[in-house]
Amino acid sequence: MTERPRLTASEAAQRAGAAVAQGDGRFVALFADTDAAGDQLRYIVAAGGRLALISGVVEGPTPSLDRAAARWHEIAVSEQSGFQIAGLPQSPSPITPSDAEAYRSVGSPELSTVLYGPVRSGISEAVRWIIETAGEDFVAVHASFGFKNRGLERRFVGVPLESACLVAEEVSSATAASHASAFARAGEDACGIEAPVRAAAIRAILVEFERIHQHLDVLGKLADDASLSVGSAQTFAAKERVHRLLAEAVGNRFARGVITVGGARFDAFAGLSESCGRSLDALEREVCGVVDELFATPSWIDRLVATGRLSGEIVRAYGGVGPVARGSGVDNDARGLDGWLFTPQEGDAALATDGDALARARVRRAEIRSSFRLIRNALDAAPAGPHWVSFPTGGRGEGVARVESPQGELVYYVRFGAGIERVAIRSASFQNWPLFVPSLAGWIFTDFSFIEHSFGLIVAETDR
Amino acid sequence: MSWIVRGLRGGILTTHYPHGPEEMPAQWRGVAKALAGARAQEYQLGAAACLSGAIVAQADEAHVLQERCFQCGACARVAPRAFGMSNDYELALVGADPSTTQDRLARRAASLGRSIMIRHVDAGSDFATDQEVQALFNPFYDINRLGIFLTATPRHADLLVVTGVVTHHMVESLKRTYAAMPDPKIVVAVGTAAASGSFYAADDVYGPVDRVVPVDVKVPGGPPAPLSILHALWVALGRTAARARETEA
Repeated sequence: MTERPRLTASEAAQRAGAAVAQGDGRFVALFADTDAAGDQLRYIVAAGGRLALISGVVEGPTPSLDRAAARWHEIAVSEQSGFQIAGLPQSPSPITPSDAEAYRSVGSPELSTVLYGPVRSGISEAVRWIIETAGEDFVAVHASFGFKNRGLERRFVGVPLESACLVAEEVSSATAASHASAFARAGEDACGIEAPVRAAAIRAILVEFERIHQHLDVLGKLADDASLSVGSAQTFAAKERVHRLLAEAVGNRFARGVITVGGARFDAFAGLSESCGRSLDALEREVCGVVDELFATPSWIDRLVATGRLSGEIVRAYGGVGPVARGSGVDNDARGLDGWLFTPQEGDAALATDGDALARARVRRAEIRSSFRLIRNALDAAPAGPHWVSFPTGGRGEGVARVESPQGELVYYVRFGAGIERVAIRSASFQNWPLFVPSLAGWIFTDFSFIEHSFGLIVAETDR
Repeated sequence: MSWIVRGLRGGILTTHYPHGPEEMPAQWRGVAKALAGARAQEYQLGAAACLSGAIVAQADEAHVLQERCFQCGACARVAPRAFGMSNDYELALVGADPSTTQDRLARRAASLGRSIMIRHVDAGSDFATDQEVQALFNPFYDINRLGIFLTATPRHADLLVVTGVVTHHMVESLKRTYAAMPDPKIVVAVGTAAASGSFYAADDVYGPVDRVVPVDVKVPGGPPAPLSILHALWVALGRTAARARETEA
């Protein structure tokens, strides 16, 4: 990375704000950091298909970007680092109901407040929703995150670079390959090296398998929500088959312990190509058959259509990513950008415009199909050569990289000097959760799980 | 109608386990094991590569604290003559004496009557562990066939399944869930993070599950396979013996 001119945090905020305001500009991340130059704020923005890092030294309060997309980031920075952001709303809630498109404001004394979580029925992650209701409808909903804060960004500090991907995988093991790939690429960016093509193929295959099993997880939960027990059982059985293929090919059902900085820990390509040769066709038939059957089940479709609708405008305002954004016609698939080797072809773009739970499910269905195609492309490319390159030790540098995880764009920032000094993670879930509350507007309690599952977000990578 | 046809055409997927054996693929990484006859240097190399401190290397031997192993395989990769990965999935760990523990657990399970109701708490998981618990209900494992069911309230629960290292914010919720369960109650800590705290920094999390509530059975894994969790439940119900746990002492 080139030497950047020294800015103040306020100047950095101004530049970031200007970049976001332009044409295809989009706010991506904001985090606090302290290095030799002092306390800093670092903004990441996307423009022209690339990520740009804008850093500035903190001198007094920094003005808020005053954008919905940046609000959770600004709240997190001011709460966790103590750096003041001027112009933040007083309310500690990450989002207030007044932000929602069509929220009704009911000043009735008959409102009751329901604390939903962090321990909920079934098997679900720890998060709390504070729901104000007059009976069945959502009058106001507040998100309360942080129950699962495990200090994982701090845990990276001091870990040898060759082991650090194992920490990244723990952030969300369900999407371990995405996290490991994003960290590895950020580390490689900082070292000024590039992983060999064979390693890039291994990463692409594992990330696409991950997309398939996580999308099946979402569809299986949506089927279960509709009391479609056979459909749900069949969908989870299809998911199980994906995990079995991964266990056979790389030794772990979630493909942990494969990806590392510089490439892959071992030549997983051979195992993947052998297992895929044996069972990829049958797996694809089974997975696509079950998913087609779901979409041919009218009682399921009826439950999803129009539910939890989000307009493209609000998705853009909140900087939404992944299937949530693509369900509302906002396309920002990171696989098409940033030199990810195996990108979707024309016609693969999974876009829907209705913005409802059904649209998000349709996007996932289309992505499952294109993931199988991408896996085949990567296998057919059969890149020979090494699966790993060594990286220089004792170097200093910083790097940023992104990977299209099943939930959407996942961004890692890495800085090292004497070992790893700072890692910042902007997960797709962190960026998309603020959209959940507006999507509830006008719906009632029984719709909650449909809307929540249609988002398919992960609390583990939000809280970290 | 077509769901029924699809289901019938698929045949029976369900495992016979725990009534019959199952096999894991040859590549599958169970937990790390120390091999005899390597050099001290190699044992130290493996111990240094372990992020979660699962390996205690001595002069000419090493032993593995299984509850700390999260199956990454780093030790076996850097020191292949000193460490290997087992291929098994029956990884559940109980107190110092497995056979007396089995008696005790069996008596407790017998007092519960016939079916077993499970409550799940995510105390700070990596999400994959939750999905593997969920997988127990898919047709491949179908634990309902063993009389094990999920319940929505701790008041009806016999057995508490906890995933993830316990975070500061989840201590109270975990305590209250446990307190709300009727006696006798059984607790299973699922995954290396829940069992031992894995590689989490001591300052940033509260600790493993047994720092908050008494734990009967621990099953390591990152995440543990559904078969490993099923085995742990079977151990917790006193139906089979666990392996002895190697402690830090």
